Amino acid sequence: MRVPFFKMFMTSPFEGLQEHAEKVMECAWAFQQAMECYFAAKCKTFEEFRQEVTRIESQADAIKRRIRGHMPKRTMMPISNFLVFRYLKEQDEVLDRMEDSLDWISYRAESGIPQELEKDFALLVDAVIDPIEQLSGLVVEARLYFKKFSEKQRVVVKNIIHTLRQQEHEADKFEDIIKKKIFNMEADAVTIFHLVRLAETIGSIADHAQNAGDMMRAMLSK
Amino acid sequence: MPQEYYVLIVGYVFGFYMAWNIGANDVANSMASAVGAKAITIRQAIFIAGILNIIGAACIGSHVTNTIRKGIVSTEVLTDPHLALIGALSALLAAALWVSFATWKSLPVSTTHSIVGAMIGFGIMAGGFSVINWTKLAAVILSWVISPVFSIVIAFLMFKLIVLTILSKKDSFAGALKLSPFFIGIAFFIVVLSFLFKTPLGKKLSIGTPVALVVAMILALIFGFAGKRLLKKLIKNKKSNGTEEIFRRIQIGTSCYVALAQGANDVANAIGPLAVIYFLVKTGNVGATVPVPLFLLLFGGIGIACGIGMAGHRVMETIGTKITTLTNTRGFSVDFAAATTVLVASKMGLPVSTTHAAVGGVLGVGLARGLEAVNFGIIYKIMLYWVLTVPAAAVTSMVIFKILQFLL
Repeated sequence: MRVPFFKMFMTSPFEGLQEHAEKVMECAWAFQQAMECYFAAKCKTFEEFRQEVTRIESQADAIKRRIRGHMPKRTMMPISNFLVFRYLKEQDEVLDRMEDSLDWISYRAESGIPQELEKDFALLVDAVIDPIEQLSGLVVEARLYFKKFSEKQRVVVKNIIHTLRQQEHEADKFEDIIKKKIFNMEADAVTIFHLVRLAETIGSIADHAQNAGDMMRAMLSK
Repeated sequence: MPQEYYVLIVGYVFGFYMAWNIGANDVANSMASAVGAKAITIRQAIFIAGILNIIGAACIGSHVTNTIRKGIVSTEVLTDPHLALIGALSALLAAALWVSFATWKSLPVSTTHSIVGAMIGFGIMAGGFSVINWTKLAAVILSWVISPVFSIVIAFLMFKLIVLTILSKKDSFAGALKLSPFFIGIAFFIVVLSFLFKTPLGKKLSIGTPVALVVAMILALIFGFAGKRLLKKLIKNKKSNGTEEIFRRIQIGTSCYVALAQGANDVANAIGPLAVIYFLVKTGNVGATVPVPLFLLLFGGIGIACGIGMAGHRVMETIGTKITTLTNTRGFSVDFAAATTVLVASKMGLPVSTTHAAVGGVLGVGLARGLEAVNFGIIYKIMLYWVLTVPAAAVTSMVIFKILQFLL
């Protein structure tokens, strides 16, 4: 009935962004378990967790495609389509990097992590999970802001973005420590390459979470 | 003349069918934003709209109607009673069929413009192109552009005003309460003015424009401050969505008004041609205006209510699920813009449609960045159906006229 009239009202992309952020969250837990399993020697379930992450990633991909595919050219929103797409891209990149990290491990899974680095890697993983946990809250609060336009709500969202930035900085510090330690280790070049690249990939998860936050900050600008 | 009584019975059927269609197709106009903003439930909306349409049609609907809606065709065509009978019948059926088709195909068309188009078709068949009042037709065409644009501007300004004065403030609830007399006041101002200028009952009171403005202003002031006191009592606990709660109450009021005015104005679309048939059969001739007996108005009102009751549910359900981002502040802006547009445009003598104004209102709030997502692209499609309505109804009317002429 009166469909052209109704067609003016479309499902808000924020609904999709929220759903996508929840997938990222879900994926982060699986990622954390996979990493913990990898650190613990003789863990058999790493491959299972890796499959789980891949599965969640493809589900999130479907959500991403749905958001992109259901955004007509002349969509009017409180923010520009461009920013929504950029935000989505960064949030999706978080997932990709988690998947990449696990894939990278799987290429050389049997070697494990040297004992002296185990703790540092555990800290790094925890440090990149923190900003991911902020993301779903960020979307919810931002959506509320676009509903209310209140300065108070704007500050709430800005605070989350600020926290994100700090957490990324923390993760960066752990990444630095690990890399320094790796190069002071007695190990063959292949191991060093594998470990450095692993630390960088894990570290980039937090980078992309921060990028998503920055995109959200751009949406908030008046 | 038994044959003419058959015609009258057929006229009743067509008239009811047209009224039913008005109900089915136009219920969204009055209640869409209220249901979308969750101010009232679907059941409440259907019940309220049905009752208010009957009351509007029977109590404030015009007891004298122009035989030709909006004077678009010269009354010369009515001189031959036989031709007039066929004409009224075909116009009624053509308009009803087009609105039915539109409802089925989900096109937002104006019922008023459908009947205007059907009348043009009948006029051309009965008297040629010379009987058409081209200036009136130009006004119809002008209204396709003016009413949505005007509505867009008002909705845009209204929503921006709400954001600036209330939503963006630290304590938006206190701000909303403080400014509520203003918002209730201007809503009442428009409602009172529309009532005085637009509804047939108000026209009968025949109050001059300056007096009407003063009356509306005084009533707006009284109701504005009374409304604030009432709101204070009703909304005691200050919740986070207190602002929306305040606008929810105001919005229910404006929606009810639109339903009432809709019944009063649109009933003539179905009952006007039926009244012509009625008088042709009863008295044998008909002038430029005919008195409409109360039972016909009631008949039309019940027809509209039946349409709302039977098809309204589907419309409302779609609204309820689709327009989830329409909060009360947005809904109020849309309603206010639509009501103001209809008032101002009809005061200027333009035959505007509430449908067009409502669409404009939604886009206005969207442009003010008030909606999470609105598809602006669809507006071209909507415009196309607005333009199509008049010729489509005219052609249908011509075809039916020819068929009826052959039969009777």
